Amino acid sequence: MVRSTSLRLTTLYTAAFAVAVLVLGAVTLFSTRHALADQFDRRIRAESAAMSLEFHSEGLFGVVEAVHERDRTPGSLDYGVQGPNGEALAGRLASTKTDLGWSVVRIAPKGHGEAIRVLTTALPGGRRLLVGDDEERIEALDATVLRGFGLALAGVVVLGVAGGFALSNQMHRRLAAISGTAEAIIDGDLGRRVPLRGSDDDLDRLAQTINRMLDRIGALMESLKQVSNDVAHDLRTPLTRLRQRLEAGLASPDERESALEGSLADLDAILDTFAALLRIAQIEGGARRAGFRTCDLAAIAATVVDAFAPSAEEEGQSLARTDAGPVQIDGDAELLTQMLVNLVENSLRHAGAGARVHVSTLVTGEGAALSVRDNGPGVPEAERERLFDRFYRLERSRSTPGSGLGLALVGAVAKLHGAEVRLLDAGPGLEARVVFPRPATLGIDNPPVIGGLGRKA
Amino acid sequence: MKLLLVEDDKEAAGYLRRALSEVGHNLDHAANGRDGLMLAAAEPYDVIILDRMLPGLDGVAILRTIRAAGVKTPVLLLTAMGGIDDRVEGLEAGGDDYLVKPFAFAELLARVNALARRPPPQDVQTELEVADLKVDLLKRKVTRGGKRIELQQREFQLLEYLMRHAGRVVTRTMLLEGVWDFHFDPKTNIVETHMSRLRGKVDRGFDQELIHTVRGAGYILREPD
Repeated sequence: MVRSTSLRLTTLYTAAFAVAVLVLGAVTLFSTRHALADQFDRRIRAESAAMSLEFHSEGLFGVVEAVHERDRTPGSLDYGVQGPNGEALAGRLASTKTDLGWSVVRIAPKGHGEAIRVLTTALPGGRRLLVGDDEERIEALDATVLRGFGLALAGVVVLGVAGGFALSNQMHRRLAAISGTAEAIIDGDLGRRVPLRGSDDDLDRLAQTINRMLDRIGALMESLKQVSNDVAHDLRTPLTRLRQRLEAGLASPDERESALEGSLADLDAILDTFAALLRIAQIEGGARRAGFRTCDLAAIAATVVDAFAPSAEEEGQSLARTDAGPVQIDGDAELLTQMLVNLVENSLRHAGAGARVHVSTLVTGEGAALSVRDNGPGVPEAERERLFDRFYRLERSRSTPGSGLGLALVGAVAKLHGAEVRLLDAGPGLEARVVFPRPATLGIDNPPVIGGLGRKA
Repeated sequence: MKLLLVEDDKEAAGYLRRALSEVGHNLDHAANGRDGLMLAAAEPYDVIILDRMLPGLDGVAILRTIRAAGVKTPVLLLTAMGGIDDRVEGLEAGGDDYLVKPFAFAELLARVNALARRPPPQDVQTELEVADLKVDLLKRKVTRGGKRIELQQREFQLLEYLMRHAGRVVTRTMLLEGVWDFHFDPKTNIVETHMSRLRGKVDRGFDQELIHTVRGAGYILREPD
């Protein structure tokens, strides 16, 4: 608890508050006392003046009368009239001192020798008039003020400390929830998330951010696991074949040359798969986005169609495109070219003999789009989403060449560009349409999506 | 030809030295960046083969230093598989060509040969000529034995590339990069198809073939013996 930040803070605040209360108390005490003493003196002076007036109008007898009368009234001041030789003529107050002005007189009759503040003035005929009041009244007031502030101070400290403990307790509980989640994840429970209170305060928002981060890390881990599983699974077969071929070559010298050649071809295929996987991983890393430039989808389509049309023709297929003028987007021309190549190769390979593949670039209401349409057998709707998984191949395509990584790369490139790949029914055949977002909508607030085809990664 | 290989794997270096000496090249090997730098600066080489990833000193850093020191020897960078940004970075640092590891020896040899006998850059050619085949680069006109040959744009570029590397083997990958600017390997045999069309126009009907297939390596356009 000593190390709790919130407790330390509240302790600090409480101390500061207590000092403020103390200063306030001192100032209040000082000024009240001052004002009170002033008022005391003024009252005494006024009474003294009133008595002098009495003497002038009514004479000594009048003054003595007045003193007696006031002595009988509770709450009044104390008085004393002395003759020229100091003999008491009336009142309780008596002073042996002869000088006039302010002095403090102690009187016994009321018991414990209270201190009376007295103003001595001269009356005609050498007589003296003493008017005073009990100083303890001021002290009693001091005590009241002090008690009040003392209580306030105690209240501040108690509230501060209690509040501090409560606050730090609550803070501690919420932070413990976060660190508990972290500990659980360290211990291997990767599914744990920080519990939310739903109050949407700063700690809740922090918890949400942490949870989102954990989700992202989880997705990456999942994807990594998926990749390693895929790699392990899909490379085991060609590696086994390679090994068998090499063993066969070693066993029979006649076959050595063909075994070596076959092994080299196997190895190249394995390396191709590796390279494709690494490339996809790099693209998914997203660093390429920094090198985006304006590029023309129509020009890319022209290059690709021009490169692949002759090969398609030789296979008795056709590859053509519709040119609707430049379609400019922000992107990586090299990757976009490879994406289109993969789509075109995919269509040519799977649409079969006599296939007609058509590439077009267009600008729709949603943004620029690149479309590759074939008239092949198409892909069942249920399987479309899985096409973008690494190594996924349709059952009927198992025998055709291909690594199963072509569309995974398409998905990765599209995602890098914030584009959406849609697989549509071209009736008959399949249309793969890559829809790029309008430049204004491509931003951090709009994370790239592959709508409806979202890879689980 | 005198070559320098900067590569930390001694076994791979030994293998390359043997293979290169069989085709008449002499290979010096530096096992680390520091030695590589010293050799590159001190000795005149025809081509430097530089591994992109070296322990300690990075290949690109070495390349920059070599270039800053005024060494103009052509450099072939060996880059790691999957490093899609390595090519651009390497070329920007002053590299002349790049090759992804692991590579076929034929590929390395073809690229080294292509680099070594590069014509000086200031020498702007407007006409290429091999035997009776003439290519006018300005008018984009091709004639053979005085007979006009009509080529499509891509076929023309393909022929131009072969002519510029006349007498040297060019690989499929070199053509993909040089003619199509494809820096990846399509599964379709587009090079073969275009090449066969080009040969149909350039060689068919003439006594002597100029374009030849080099098995396991690529193509070569050369004067008839």
